[in-house]
Amino acid sequence: MCAAVLAGSALSVSGLALQTVFCNPLAGPFVLGISSGASLGVALSLLAGFSFGNFGVLGAAALGASVVTIIVMWVSGRFRNVGVLLIVGLLLGYLIDAIVSVLIAGSEAEALRVYVTWSMGSFGRVLLDGVWVFALAVAAGLVLVVVSMRYLNAARLGDDFARGLGVRVEVSKKCVLLGASILAAASTAFCGPVAFVGIAVPHLAFMLFKTTDHRVLVPGAALCGTVLCLLAGLFPVSIPLNAVLSIVGVPVVFYVLVRGSRTGWW
Amino acid sequence: MASDSLLQCVDLCVGYGAVRSKRGADRPQSLFEPFSFDLHAGEVVALMGVNGCGKSTLLKTFAGLVPQVSGDVFLDGTPLQAWNARERARRVGLVRMSGSAPDRMTVREFVGLGRSPYSGFLDGRTAEDEKIVDDAMQVTDVSCFAERPFTELSDGERSRVFLAEAVAQQVNVLLLDEPNAFLDIPRSHALFRLLKKFVGMRKMGIIVSTHSIEYAEKYCDRIAVIDGGNFRVAPASEARNLGLLDWARAE
Repeated sequence: MCAAVLAGSALSVSGLALQTVFCNPLAGPFVLGISSGASLGVALSLLAGFSFGNFGVLGAAALGASVVTIIVMWVSGRFRNVGVLLIVGLLLGYLIDAIVSVLIAGSEAEALRVYVTWSMGSFGRVLLDGVWVFALAVAAGLVLVVVSMRYLNAARLGDDFARGLGVRVEVSKKCVLLGASILAAASTAFCGPVAFVGIAVPHLAFMLFKTTDHRVLVPGAALCGTVLCLLAGLFPVSIPLNAVLSIVGVPVVFYVLVRGSRTGWW
Repeated sequence: MASDSLLQCVDLCVGYGAVRSKRGADRPQSLFEPFSFDLHAGEVVALMGVNGCGKSTLLKTFAGLVPQVSGDVFLDGTPLQAWNARERARRVGLVRMSGSAPDRMTVREFVGLGRSPYSGFLDGRTAEDEKIVDDAMQVTDVSCFAERPFTELSDGERSRVFLAEAVAQQVNVLLLDEPNAFLDIPRSHALFRLLKKFVGMRKMGIIVSTHSIEYAEKYCDRIAVIDGGNFRVAPASEARNLGLLDWARAE
């Protein structure tokens, strides 16, 4: 249950931060490949045998997520179009899947079993001593996002506008993105790849709280994510977590797409 | 240095090359000859010139968004780059009419961003902030659609909201980039009258770029012109006789 609360808040806040920084309503740790980056770290750690306990898997995930975030940030600086960013995220996801399948081909049966169980995604398997590490990582990520509150509130209007309001954009942006990466990595390392929470929950929070003030949205998204993940955790173990979340998440993303066509994004 | 000088520039060269030149690639390109200029409290200066002459770049340089190629800019007597970002944002503000429309944001929330340079660590707002935001919306005549989403506004309404945000920022030096581009004639007159009122009441200095000679001569104290690589400035009543507006004549 603790895992559901932590993963729900982590992924939601990560998604919210990414959508705000990239001014892209369809951004999220999963879509941008950041969760995949974390998965690659986990795969390297579990399959290729770099294992150092909880910190090792988490560290590997955080490293993978950060590398993808840096690539995504570089791409977003070069291409103005919101679609390019999503496609690059998708491509990175495929590339990482390919690398993981190569790793799987060369791995032993026992390591493979651990990896496959992890990759199903679940809130039930985090051991109690692991929860503390998980909570610590989520707290660190949240702090990095929260200290950049002034930037988050101005970011939707573009970097120049934020600079005009006295925001140190370069520092704040890196701070938020590092925070978002750590949040996505922590959730992925401990609960496996969890889909749709990051992309869908920020929109649910918008609908519920009807504000763009991140002082409300950050805790609001964390709350919505927690509730969603707790509800998803109520389903019997035989139904995979990601199946439940997809059934909730896909309509929300579809709604965002339809809404976007009305306001003229695409 | 005169005590009422809000913004002062000495031998200033502006252009976009300054950043690139640091990396040692291109030589920085100045858009026009170096010039010196003082903006005083209580005056509105019109900035004129053909498209692409560097009006916007000059305004961005004054706002600290684009580093100058050479020369110095002083804000309240201190070099622009020496200000910390937040302190600077309390003193100088640039209003532009273009920019991404923030999704889901209401007019009120947008204008509230103007208080961001004054807010604390978590970007909180006090009752006083809310009052300042209300007043800013009142004076720019946007209160009637305060709760509407920004994306649903017309260009003219957006112009006024952009101005309201800068008013809420309570800057001494207000820079406006073609604020009447989307405004109808009565609203343009109202805007320039409002600017005149601001400089009198709030001891501000305003630089406003515009293509309208009529408004510049009628409402502004001085007219600055960028023409043929030179920056020239004269009192509004004399600009025409001194030939500052010659570039604007039809063939």
